[in-house]
Amino acid sequence: MNNPRNDTFRHQVLRIIVCLVFIGFGLFAGYLQLIEGNSYIDKAENNFIRYIITYPPRGEVFDRNGEYLIQNKICYDLMVVPREAPRNGIDTVRLSKITNESMKRLKRSFADARRNWRTASPVVKYLSAEAKLKMDEWNLPGFYTVPRTVRQYPRNIGGNLLGSLSEVSQNFLSKHNHDGYYNIRDYIGEQGIESAYEKELRGEKGRIRRNIYANHTSTDEVEREPVPGKNLVSSIDARLQAFAEELMNGKIGSVVAIEPETGEILVMASSPTFDPNELVIGRERGNNYMRLLYEPRRPLFNRAVTSPQPPGSTFKLLNGLIGLQEGVLKPHYRYSCNKGYKAGNVKMGCHEHRSPLDLDYAIATSCNAYFCNVYRNILENKKYESPKQGYEAWRNYVEEFGFGTKLGTDIPGERRGTLMHRDYYDKLYRRSWNALTVLSVSIGQGEILSTTLQLANFAAIIANRGYYYTPHIIKQIEGQDSIDIKYRTPHYTSVEKRHFETIIKGMWRGVNVDGTCQTAKLKGLDVCGKTGTAQNPLGDDHSTFISFAPRNNPKIAIAVYVEHGIWGSTAAVPIASLIEELYLTDTITRPWLVDYVKNLELDYSIYDRRRKK
Amino acid sequence: MTGAGRNSNNITLFGGVDWWTVILYITLTIIGFVAVFSASYVEESENFWSFSHEYIKHLVWLGLSYAIALFILLIDRSSWHKYAYIICAVTLLIVLMTFTPLGKTVNGARAWLGLGGFTLQPMEIAKVGISLAVARLMSKYGFSVDHPADMFKALCIIAVPMGIAVLQNDTGSGLVFCSFLFMFYREGLNHWICVPIIFLVALLILSFLLTPGVLLIALIVIFTFSAGMLMRNRWKACIKYVVWLFFVSTILFLVFAVALNKDVNYYDCLLYTTVASIVVVIVYAYRANLRTLYFLILLFFVSVICLPTSDMVFHHLKAHQQNRIRTFLGQVDDKDLLYNVNQSKIAIGSGGFAGKGFLKGSQIRYGFVPEKHTDFIFCTIGEEFGFLGALVLFSLMALLILRLMRMGDRQLETFGRVYCYCVASILFFHCCINIGMTMGVVPVMGIPLPFISYGGSSLLGFTMLVFIAIALDASPTKRQSTLRRW
Repeated sequence: MNNPRNDTFRHQVLRIIVCLVFIGFGLFAGYLQLIEGNSYIDKAENNFIRYIITYPPRGEVFDRNGEYLIQNKICYDLMVVPREAPRNGIDTVRLSKITNESMKRLKRSFADARRNWRTASPVVKYLSAEAKLKMDEWNLPGFYTVPRTVRQYPRNIGGNLLGSLSEVSQNFLSKHNHDGYYNIRDYIGEQGIESAYEKELRGEKGRIRRNIYANHTSTDEVEREPVPGKNLVSSIDARLQAFAEELMNGKIGSVVAIEPETGEILVMASSPTFDPNELVIGRERGNNYMRLLYEPRRPLFNRAVTSPQPPGSTFKLLNGLIGLQEGVLKPHYRYSCNKGYKAGNVKMGCHEHRSPLDLDYAIATSCNAYFCNVYRNILENKKYESPKQGYEAWRNYVEEFGFGTKLGTDIPGERRGTLMHRDYYDKLYRRSWNALTVLSVSIGQGEILSTTLQLANFAAIIANRGYYYTPHIIKQIEGQDSIDIKYRTPHYTSVEKRHFETIIKGMWRGVNVDGTCQTAKLKGLDVCGKTGTAQNPLGDDHSTFISFAPRNNPKIAIAVYVEHGIWGSTAAVPIASLIEELYLTDTITRPWLVDYVKNLELDYSIYDRRRKK
Repeated sequence: MTGAGRNSNNITLFGGVDWWTVILYITLTIIGFVAVFSASYVEESENFWSFSHEYIKHLVWLGLSYAIALFILLIDRSSWHKYAYIICAVTLLIVLMTFTPLGKTVNGARAWLGLGGFTLQPMEIAKVGISLAVARLMSKYGFSVDHPADMFKALCIIAVPMGIAVLQNDTGSGLVFCSFLFMFYREGLNHWICVPIIFLVALLILSFLLTPGVLLIALIVIFTFSAGMLMRNRWKACIKYVVWLFFVSTILFLVFAVALNKDVNYYDCLLYTTVASIVVVIVYAYRANLRTLYFLILLFFVSVICLPTSDMVFHHLKAHQQNRIRTFLGQVDDKDLLYNVNQSKIAIGSGGFAGKGFLKGSQIRYGFVPEKHTDFIFCTIGEEFGFLGALVLFSLMALLILRLMRMGDRQLETFGRVYCYCVASILFFHCCINIGMTMGVVPVMGIPLPFISYGGSSLLGFTMLVFIAIALDASPTKRQSTLRRW
């Protein structure tokens, strides 16, 4: 062995080892700080900054008379911090009794809570104030209650109109959460007003920045105060709505009433409906929702806007108006009706009445043959080269009246109904069709479907003698001078005002002299109306009625649609009449009629048959 | 700059002092003070100069260290050799005082002495005594590293503080003395001793990571392969080897399969083949008189024995030590156990290139890094001064260690050389373990970072270590006549 003093080889080896180790440290530090640096910066921030979201109270909704439609209610969540809870177990029997929660569920939520030993987790949600007081009295260490607001519906009306709150779904978060406002477990309005005015009602969430120290102490600074949601005033008349729902109980269909001079919706009752309190966020919401969802009569459906049906004879009014405007119909024109209309192969039945008859009486008694003639004249107008062009002209008029299009109302889920283009018939009949081919449309059957809202809007147009405001359900938003301009601009139709007077004369006669809807007659109110009886392949005819009152300076326009209601006058007319009476006179003078409507038994076996399937 | 001291025989205070080392030392201690200040500064504190702040205490220790450094340069430079054993004995006695009522237990280790308001960790100072004693022993005339009896004496000296450290439940400090291997290698320790030691350490670590079966197969493959390599030049022997291997293993296989009526799997086949090949290799090595093969076989047996032993040793460790090792090896995902290292890595990693700025590190400020001013002080530098700060620290440390090694190499006497290498190895070990553990590449041990970490005893200990080396280097009679600059 060499003398170690001169052993330069070993000296070099050790030197290289030292250098390599430090270079290695340098490289590893570079890897940590330069390559992985950003992820560590995030981790460091997550370490000491927590953003805590503070929730604003959601806006409340009032009816037009200042009555609460949707109200906030305080309830309490029972929270537990497992670390602070008594080690030797707690009296779960007593807890179960106070909170009215099963032992099994309590045990499960305890097990969940124990996963986060130091942080608070909910044990029982949505406790009543009473239970909260009892818990306060017990003063169990580690347990405390936190308040939270839930919705409450004092009137129990309009389940499918007002909507409800739900937790944001994963699907929504991944697809529609464009502005990133919602986080998981946030609440969002579902259906109805809650959904339509979500932006106004929700307010703006606040944010608190919490700096956390390693020893679990922290300091808070408010970055943004929460902005409370805006209160809304609805145009709904709660009393009227409740009455309409009461009358519609047991029937399938809907009622829409509009104030013609503003377009405000007074009533929008869809039947069957449900108590909106059933869907308040809470323990029972899930079960109730599933039950409602699978109920064969579909109570979650707002039929007033989502269910287009044949308008039936109410549609004759529109054909009359178009005929008058086009000059192919004059009020004094008389057509004969021999229990119906026959032309070529086409036959259209009618009920028994005097014949021949003029426009007035044709409207009042709802003569099919008369309006077949009118419709045929419109399409076969000499002005146009062919009935097809006549059809196009007719279609333009119909669309002006809001049929076949979405009205643009603020109620979500609106359907446009059916109004065919000429192309449809061209394709279907290979260009060989004429007025007779599409004759059924003249009496509101066949390729014409409309929602109850469209029918009510039609009634409002007639009441206004030629124009309408887009129907809307919210008339005032807190902090805003007026609602959206689109609800304040009138839409004019190209039918002249004098023609409306002609039609209204017929409608008035139908109610007050010798027509189909004399039940709707109210003393001194000059109700005008038109029944409809729409045939359908499923069961009894649909019963429908549009009406407005009083005749001069109308205050209410209404459309009632009762599916399988037999005749227009059987179900729809009394319902509409009672609602008008209540709205205009604040009294019910015909209790027997109320009883009659309530006890009316209609055959809905078709729905039950579907269920069996 | 050192010329004056060499030419004149007058010993002046700074005569012959290696100024590079002094500058490195002062720079490092200043960096250390900045880091300790940053780690222990409290904004809300009313009294900046309050003695309850760590940085003020550190400042006091710093002053004391500088005074002691001056004092070491003042006293006669030959006395270190003369009184080496006495200093060693005294320091060890002080260490033993921790077992008296004066001793204090901090973090489970009874390694501290409480003196009034101060606490001392005497083991840091004992490193000076042990280094001096080992240097004195090895500088004795006729001492040879290759001589087992001499080596035994040296190891005995080292074993004393290691044993005490284990008794104190402060294994980390004891392990520091393992770093003397570095110095022994410089002094001419046989390669054949270094290689198996490194091999067995590697095996120890691997035995936690791999299953014994896999490890056994790996060993068998390595050894069979290297045995084959050693016989490569003798092709006849190779053929014999293969034939024998086949023959003996088949016989073994048949014997076990038929006679013992056992199900035979891959493990068994491999084991029989290996046993057979070892038999062949032993016979061959005996006949060809190949000592390296003997050695190889011995190593194989030792490592096979080592396999279960490592497990046994592991189970005799304390629970927290087991956890630290398991954590390091990535065998636990318990957040509490991973917490220290995770937070420390987050602190260093989030520093980025230039760091978050002095007093602006969130991990340090908000108290996420444990022991932020002592063992995990490197996090402060990594977080607040970033990659640049870390590089500066690494370079200064590396330069200091290299400088100490260089100082050792230019000594005329073995005493000075061994001592300088002892200091270099201790510093190197401390840096490796401390920086490595903050970055999560070494299991966590409670070892401070020299000159940087808060702690009076470690600062004093390292100051004494370095300045005694400077003093020895500066004594004119012990300088090598020719100097090379580095």
